[in-house]
Amino acid sequence: MGKSSKDKRDLYYRRAKEEGWRARSAFKLLQLNEQFQLFKDVKRVVDLCAAPGSWSQVLSRELYQTQKNSHDEAKIVAVDLQPMTPIDGVTTLQADITHPKTLVKIMDIFGGEPADFVCSDGAPDVTGLHDLDEYLQAQLILSALQLTTCLLKPGGTFVAKIFRGRDIDLLYAQLSYLFDKVVCAKPRSSRGTSLEAFIVCIGYKPREGWTPKLELNKSAEEFFEGANIGRSDNLKFFELPDPEERVIANFIACGDLSDVDSDATYTLDASESRVVLDPVQMPTSPPYKLALEMKRRGDLVRR
Amino acid sequence: MSRFNQVSSVQESKFKPLEHYGAVTALKIYKNYIIAGYGPTLKIFDSSSNFLLIFSRQIFGRNKIHSISVSGSDNESIFIAGGRSFAILNLNNLEDIDASETIEHAINEWIVCGQFLDQNTLLVLTAHNIIFKINPETFEFIEKIHCNEKSILYSGSIRITDSGQVIIAAGTVMSGVLIWDYHSRRVLYNLTDHEGSIFGVKIDPSANFIISCSDDRSIKLYDFHTGKLLSTGWGHGSRIWNLEFCTEINGTLRLFSTGEDCTARLWEYSGSESLKLVSVMDCHLGKHVWSGDIDDKSLELCVTGGADGRIIIHDLSAKTSTINSVTSSHTMDDIAKQTGATFEKKELIKQYSELPLLNILVILTSKGKIFTLNQTSQKWSKCETPQSTEKLGDFGLMKSFPESNAVVATSRNGDILVMNFEGSNVSKNYWIEDEYLLGNKVANLIIESNLAKNEYYVLIDCPNPKSPLVLRTFKLDEGTFKLSSTNLLQQPDQSSFTTTCMWKDEVNNWLLLGSRYVSVAIYDLDSEKNKDGHINLGQIFKKLSIGDTITSVSIISTKKEAVRFLMTVRDGVYMYIDIVFENGDFQLNIIHHNKISRGFVEGGFIENNDLILYGFRSSYFYVFNESQQLEITNELCGGAHRQWEFLRYKECDPLDFKFIYINKSTLHIKCFQNRFHKVAGVTGGNIINYGTHGREIRDVSVSPAYQSNNSDSTRLIMTASEDTIVRLGRIHFNGKIESFWCLNGHISGLQKVKFFTREYAASSAANEEFCLWKINESGDIPLVVEFARLKPSSSNPDLRIMDFDAIPQFDEGGQVIGFILCTVYSDSNIKVWFFDVSKKSFDLLVVGNYTTCCILNVHFLTIEEKTFIMIGATDGHIALWDIGNSITARTSTCDTLGNPIIKQQLHQSGIKAVLLLNKKDNDYSIVTGGDDNALILSKLTYRSEEDGFLLETESFIERAASATITSISKLDESNVIVTSVDQIVRRWAIQEDSSLKCISARYTTIADTGCSDVAHFGGKSIAVIGGAGLSSWECK
Ligand SMILES: C[S@@+](CC[C@H](N)C(=O)[O-])C[C@H]1O[C@@H](n2cnc3c(N)ncnc32)[C@H](O)[C@@H]1O
Repeated sequence: MGKSSKDKRDLYYRRAKEEGWRARSAFKLLQLNEQFQLFKDVKRVVDLCAAPGSWSQVLSRELYQTQKNSHDEAKIVAVDLQPMTPIDGVTTLQADITHPKTLVKIMDIFGGEPADFVCSDGAPDVTGLHDLDEYLQAQLILSALQLTTCLLKPGGTFVAKIFRGRDIDLLYAQLSYLFDKVVCAKPRSSRGTSLEAFIVCIGYKPREGWTPKLELNKSAEEFFEGANIGRSDNLKFFELPDPEERVIANFIACGDLSDVDSDATYTLDASESRVVLDPVQMPTSPPYKLALEMKRRGDLVRR
Repeated sequence: MSRFNQVSSVQESKFKPLEHYGAVTALKIYKNYIIAGYGPTLKIFDSSSNFLLIFSRQIFGRNKIHSISVSGSDNESIFIAGGRSFAILNLNNLEDIDASETIEHAINEWIVCGQFLDQNTLLVLTAHNIIFKINPETFEFIEKIHCNEKSILYSGSIRITDSGQVIIAAGTVMSGVLIWDYHSRRVLYNLTDHEGSIFGVKIDPSANFIISCSDDRSIKLYDFHTGKLLSTGWGHGSRIWNLEFCTEINGTLRLFSTGEDCTARLWEYSGSESLKLVSVMDCHLGKHVWSGDIDDKSLELCVTGGADGRIIIHDLSAKTSTINSVTSSHTMDDIAKQTGATFEKKELIKQYSELPLLNILVILTSKGKIFTLNQTSQKWSKCETPQSTEKLGDFGLMKSFPESNAVVATSRNGDILVMNFEGSNVSKNYWIEDEYLLGNKVANLIIESNLAKNEYYVLIDCPNPKSPLVLRTFKLDEGTFKLSSTNLLQQPDQSSFTTTCMWKDEVNNWLLLGSRYVSVAIYDLDSEKNKDGHINLGQIFKKLSIGDTITSVSIISTKKEAVRFLMTVRDGVYMYIDIVFENGDFQLNIIHHNKISRGFVEGGFIENNDLILYGFRSSYFYVFNESQQLEITNELCGGAHRQWEFLRYKECDPLDFKFIYINKSTLHIKCFQNRFHKVAGVTGGNIINYGTHGREIRDVSVSPAYQSNNSDSTRLIMTASEDTIVRLGRIHFNGKIESFWCLNGHISGLQKVKFFTREYAASSAANEEFCLWKINESGDIPLVVEFARLKPSSSNPDLRIMDFDAIPQFDEGGQVIGFILCTVYSDSNIKVWFFDVSKKSFDLLVVGNYTTCCILNVHFLTIEEKTFIMIGATDGHIALWDIGNSITARTSTCDTLGNPIIKQQLHQSGIKAVLLLNKKDNDYSIVTGGDDNALILSKLTYRSEEDGFLLETESFIERAASATITSISKLDESNVIVTSVDQIVRRWAIQEDSSLKCISARYTTIADTGCSDVAHFGGKSIAVIGGAGLSSWECK
């Protein structure tokens, strides 16, 4: 997708270009790290829903350049539906994370070793049907959580994008069974008008008496059956379940108040705005590319 | 135990949901019933009794109905599902359903659809491609069935074929359609011709075809027996949500689709590689036709449901629908053949007029020949007139008086031919020679009639400023048109006045003329004549708006010395205008002004309080119900540049039309009838369920009551949506919300809308747009004009006016003379203005900056007659300034805002909602809600001039919601209504000890819950909640 002129006036967007990040999302992870020191003692990482790859870039710089790990010591696996341009020290995988096969593949890459950190910045294409969009987002998180319970070392950290809408308190409740601490964090680089926020789950504690097991023909719901994390199972006569457990996680706004406000309008100096910055990442082709071409050619007449 | 959410459900009975307007998420036609999923509510309409609503009940507590199916067997059970919820109802004893009984059931996965296999088996397909087999009587679980491919589905359907096969069609997230067999559990096909997610997939009842649609904006048709792609349909402008099969007639298969681009489409397959697009129904507002169904066989209709909450039916019957009905067409050759007339080489049909009582069409050719078409027999005949009509050639203008079977025509020099008709022939005719134009050329011929007085008016306009306008009055006397009087009117003193339309008002004997350049002239026909014997021009009003030609004027109401009329301007503007005669002068007042975005407007009329407009949009002629925002009909005629005539038959039915036009030298006569015009009392029919905006509502405001009358049972309501539309309507005592106008003054997405008084309201948007609206309630429905607008200060389209506040200024008589106004901006700017009502001017009094962060809201405070402004911003701070001096002085120079006297952080991030409650003279309570889920009660105390203010937190609720708090409205002095995007509406009470307590919390069906207001009707309070839809709740 081409960048609109709106993005060109977005200071985070401009800064991303200047600093060589593929997307302004990089600042979200950086601001989350500022608050939670996410990268401390982290060597093996899974970055889910990673394209175009700015989070992987941040992780790559951190693990190889700042922490000076060798390529043998550290490992970054990045997964997305979309193809990704290679990044130093990052293994990329083009696959659907809601498919159990994908999770098995990631496990294979780790070869039995645990991961220290799992993150997911995934978002489905929104339809506009709020309940469906929330469901699909929840499925992405659930899939990421499946992988996390199989791969993350005890005490490890899991970070995922959420949309704060109805029933988000159900998710907080379930996560609370699996982590010492669950926080809802909103980086200042994430627009205040968007429902986007991140769950930061610190201190993974495997459920006692439950061994997570990925099986190719099990859905995410079936995977968590027996985990006892407050998810309601089907009742005998499919009755409406009793009120489900709901928890409101602590909210933390991260990033400094003096950081750029992503809701504010800034007037750029004439000199600044004249500098045209090339996109770092080539836009991916949308599914409706052919439809757009046909429209341009005038092939789509009204009747 | 604060870990647990204590505020998700509290004393729900203190809120009573009254009305809900939101997306129509599912539709199903079954026999004569239209079954609709209206959010969590199931509605059933009966098409055999005028689409009467026969059942309406909220079935699910929280989930929206996304899928409906009916068992074809004798017991006729309805299965509905949405989210994880499902329920079964018996269509034959809907009345027996106990309202207190819960019939909602649940599976712990998203349900895609369901189908009854037989009496004892219900199949439910989940989004993991798993079928749950359930006993529909006992709800016992029987079995789970799957095909080993548990990828996530966006869509799916279960087909039980005529031969008893059970096939599952599943649409996955990534390009694939899986077709599998229920009995063998084997995948039959994995169809990968699409790109992107699959939003709909179905198999026809006889299992010959598969259809699917996706993110790639195409529809694909496959052969069920081979899985081979047969045909693809392109045309939808964005995603396609829903597909249905129609009946197959003579080897032609018809398909029906609905999509994000607000259209429903009919397609045809007859063997070719691409599906033929047969019809496009553009029928909903904003975005998304979420649901639809079609029955082209017995009911001959289709039905669509949009994000705008409307359910609309579309006629498919051969006789009446726009899609199928036939136009009668005639060429010069046809006429020559039938009448034996010979035409010259370039002779054309120039003019035509209809006489409906005789059912004939009279035409005039470019050589001055006159013919008639008998529309019953479709026979042409030549009119034999005693005198030659040759001088009507080249220029002739012709008009008919339908009620009196008379036709008048004028030649270029102003001679008038008068004809009376009997059957298909002229019975009497004569010429009136011109005496007034003195060789000048005629520009226009305009007619009007008054049947009650037996008067018929013919106006001849000649652009020469020296020639008068000639108004002749005829009377019908024993079947003959007789000239009874001639009035000469002084030319409006303006060289550019070209008359385009007129109206004669009978009460006052005024003549109203519309012209190019949006100018209007008015004459009092009883006034004295000048020395030339001409009636003096009463008054001319020039350039009433930007734009060009006035295309129509028509009187709405008239009384002594006061008329109200409707005026349309070609560029899309329409106005309601009052002209009064006061103190010896005509005065004009525009009380309603709006512009439609559809295209050009050629005329309009009011039917049943609804405004109907017609005109051209690209190659189409359209008729549009502006009040209901619904296209009544359209015709592909080639565009505006042609001869055309639009005729109405008020006596038969106000919405029977005829549109006559010439395209490529052929005369086309198109009749419009509407089978559903009386449905639900809507002019233009077809809407069986009303709705609201088609996009998210950003703000809502309820007007105060009339000062004089606190007991009136309605309030005005304005809503503003993200797509630039402001709506004006009324909210009734029972919670019903009626909409009157969609105002198109903004071009950017809206931020806020607010009533200042009953008469004035304002709205703000990106692009620094700020509009002040003035409302007139003197007629049956409220009318509104954009009274004034702020000029933007920069060209940055992102610069948003985030909020504003105003203090009305009154004169001694209680009339509003101005406003002190404050606007706050997304670049941290703050501006204070004085708006002068009489001059319509904004004077900048104070300007300043907060920081660089975005300001979210602003409020005025008055303490000891001093004025302060208080803002809340994205940095979680509240800041306060004293602007008292700048306001009282109101000098011509503008002051700069100094440092705030208070700047204090209350929330971690954005303060999204602020409510001020004036406790005592110098004390305010401030309730704030933030992005951080917190609700805070603070006390603002004014100590003294020297010591200033003190802002103290009295109550801090860290987890007042599980997501962003978006609005706070006042219920009374110690109770507030708070909305949050967690979709829970809460009522908090400020208790004696100044702590906040949640005394009620209830789930709302409005997603993206973003705004609220409260309408106070004496003892009854109704909260209005806006977001992705609109709801009204009584607060007990
Ligand atoms: C906001 S972007 C991620 C941006 C990324 N963190 C960065 O910094 O460049 C969301 C991504 O989620 C991906 N996604 C959505 N659904 C997915 C799925 N089921 N499996 C894998 N990736 C998915 C999308 O393709 C998209 O690239």
